[in-house]
Amino acid sequence: MGAPRVPLEPPTPEQKAFLERAMQQYGKATYNFAYRLTGNEADARDLTQDAFIRVYRAWRSFQPGTSFLSWIYRIVTNLHRDELRRRKGRFQEELPEDNAPANFGGQRPLAVTPIEDYVERQLGEPLSKALGQLSAEQRQVVVLADIEEYSYQEIAEIMGCSIGTVRSRLHRARALLRRLVERAQRPT
Amino acid sequence: MMEHLNNDFLIDYLHGQLPPEDDALAHAHLESCASCRGEYEAEAALGEALRSTARAEELEFPSMIAAEIWQQVRDARPSLASQLASLFRPAIAVPVAAVAVVALYFAAPLAQYAGTPAKHVSANYYLEEHAAQQAQNPLGERSPTAAQLIESSAADIGNAADLAEAADAPPLAMMAAADASR
Repeated sequence: MGAPRVPLEPPTPEQKAFLERAMQQYGKATYNFAYRLTGNEADARDLTQDAFIRVYRAWRSFQPGTSFLSWIYRIVTNLHRDELRRRKGRFQEELPEDNAPANFGGQRPLAVTPIEDYVERQLGEPLSKALGQLSAEQRQVVVLADIEEYSYQEIAEIMGCSIGTVRSRLHRARALLRRLVERAQRPT
Repeated sequence: MMEHLNNDFLIDYLHGQLPPEDDALAHAHLESCASCRGEYEAEAALGEALRSTARAEELEFPSMIAAEIWQQVRDARPSLASQLASLFRPAIAVPVAAVAVVALYFAAPLAQYAGTPAKHVSANYYLEEHAAQQAQNPLGERSPTAAQLIESSAADIGNAADLAEAADAPPLAMMAAADASR
């Protein structure tokens, strides 16, 4: 990615061992997380690579006894957001009115789709596509809450925002996701 | 009939993020309300679909990522700042400091002359000074008093010989007298 290349310092033996262990244990999870956020392998590779280089640089700031995965997810999340800002030139947090969560009120449609149906209908592709239509923050919160199954508190720490923001982002993201998936499933 | 639960509430319930009293309320309501239960199941299904999709698409960690990272690490060169900083590592700083302390210890007496240029001293000064010192030295060869001292000591020796002769004289005389009397 276009991150500024500040030259690396040669490693100390401990630093080298730290990086090696971090990649062995968490490389796959980090890469898959990055893939969830970016939606493609090339960007996921760049993101993962940048994240581990950052781990290498800042390895001393890791607090033993805390979750390494949370730490690197936080790094990936920040890098992902920065990268999208750089690409878009501006930050798009608010969704258009159209994507606001539907207020079903009293006459909301009765949901009749059991869990099996979603999976059996091979939602994989439309779901991945729908994820790609969310904003960076919405995608992050959905991946962290529903795929990685972190608590709102943990997500707030990873994303560097309040629990209230996590909650409202997740609500919006899920509402939008359901609309997009339902639209994709609707026979045309 | 109780009002329906909205989806935001259901999403928080699904993620176990409601306070205990709200959680209990939601649980009880879902038992009795088919409409809300259906909506809850749709939310739960979305989460399950997300997870199963993620599992199905799970990728292996590409070895090229690790290779590229290690390449960057291998190419790393110490910056000027870190090279300077490395001079203050104990392994270097301690011996250097020790040498500096020893050098300073031996150089300290020189330090008082440092800065003031050496005065020009003529050879005559030394010669005069030397002569003056010699003049005051009672044992110096060139001391003017030396000859006198030698003379006076010689005189003392002469006197002593006379005294010794005088002292010896009576016994000799008595012996002679004794011989003479015999």
